[in-house]
Amino acid sequence: MKAILVGFGFIGRSLVKTIRLKKNTLNLIDKEFKLVGVSDLDGYLYNEKGLSLEKLASINEIPEYSPNFLMEKSSLELIEKCDADIMIETTPTNIEDGKPGLTHMEKALSKGMHVVTSNKGPLVVEFKKLVNLSKEMGVEFKYEATVAGALPIFSLVNECLQGDEILRISGILNGTANYILSKMYFEGTSFELTLKEAQERGITESDPTYDIEGIDAACKVVILANAIMKRDVRFKDVKRVGIKRITPEAVNLAKQSGYVIKLIGTIDKNLEVAPKLIPETHPLCVHGTLNVLHLETDLAKVITIIGYGAGRETVSAMVNDIISVIKKRN
Amino acid sequence: MKLDLTLGLIDRPGQLIKALEPLAKNGGNIISIIHEREKVSSGYVPVSLVVDFPTIANFEKTKRELEDVSISVIKSEEIIEKANVSFILIGKLDVRKIVETETDKARIVNFESSAPTSKEACIRLNIEAPVEEINRIVAKLKEVAEEENAVLISSV
Repeated sequence: MKAILVGFGFIGRSLVKTIRLKKNTLNLIDKEFKLVGVSDLDGYLYNEKGLSLEKLASINEIPEYSPNFLMEKSSLELIEKCDADIMIETTPTNIEDGKPGLTHMEKALSKGMHVVTSNKGPLVVEFKKLVNLSKEMGVEFKYEATVAGALPIFSLVNECLQGDEILRISGILNGTANYILSKMYFEGTSFELTLKEAQERGITESDPTYDIEGIDAACKVVILANAIMKRDVRFKDVKRVGIKRITPEAVNLAKQSGYVIKLIGTIDKNLEVAPKLIPETHPLCVHGTLNVLHLETDLAKVITIIGYGAGRETVSAMVNDIISVIKKRN
Repeated sequence: MKLDLTLGLIDRPGQLIKALEPLAKNGGNIISIIHEREKVSSGYVPVSLVVDFPTIANFEKTKRELEDVSISVIKSEEIIEKANVSFILIGKLDVRKIVETETDKARIVNFESSAPTSKEACIRLNIEAPVEEINRIVAKLKEVAEEENAVLISSV
């Protein structure tokens, strides 16, 4: 199979490095697997015989790859022009209209390409449309990396809980918010000071709004509700309270009675992201930048998975999605 | 509805099975049963049961049928399962409004406020209420918190 990578930011570059690292594993499943195109906002690289993973893994910007780099050409042109089987989409999330990822995905799926993505935006805006398009075209649409990074939530439900009815999903879906609340819990610091420290350590963006207002977590709630609970909901349907008004006094009062304040996303008959009191011994009580998902089902009753929800670990989910597509379609 | 019952059985063989028949016939699910032989009084043995009936009408019918076979219902009390739920409220709060939110079925069992070092006040509440009332109470408290522009943090 031939793949193209659209988006060469942190996740895109990490994925290239991982594909290089796991080349033998991938080639054992498909000896023809190769990356034939890479694009970002600057333009794209394309070689139908395959790009050099060694070279790609050593650069930060696409133009550094080759002087023959086709500048000022769009990712859309690469998708149209190439004869790849899989598009891996890692452009930044835009929850307003899902673009440019949404346009990329619609184009690739319409062309009969399988899509593997880490980009939440298009799924928050047009989940049903994308799933229907992939079904209509008879191709795979995989998005494990969009929710809780490396945690295999969709694989778990789709492969291992096929007879279960999922009654409720709750979880910590944003590592930055969890880092801040964990620090406040262990060190008794104020929200403002903890946020500043997180920014200095590069754990949060310079604009932390998406993390601390619960916007990022609410996006994941939308995707989980639509993908797992078979709902048809939008971002506006999620009731949302962030963490910026959490005070050290509140954290301390909670602690005195055996609770920890955590930002929890909940999907049952309601959709909500809000700070909650979690008993210290509850499986949802994980600290630092960890994410956790707690499923309540009719047969298995409760299942909890814990892991890293962002950063380099996210590529684990993407590589698994790529391998799943190859195994199913080769 | 769950009931705590005490029946008075004549102290002779076969009485217990006679008592259980009307219970089973009327949909009563026996959760526990204690045959208190050591408490025989005036020829009667008290039997304590916890029974879950579909409705009060099922219990009333059972009671009549027990009396028809000379088994008296000495005690019948509804068991209300209660839960203790914690909340934390952050913001400028009118505590009276929170207290008035209680229904006759709920009570505040613990109330603690923290000396604020920041501009927002903070209180912790523990409310005891029947299990089936909890969601309604949480929704009501959320409503009050929103009106007051306070943050309500409830337990999972």
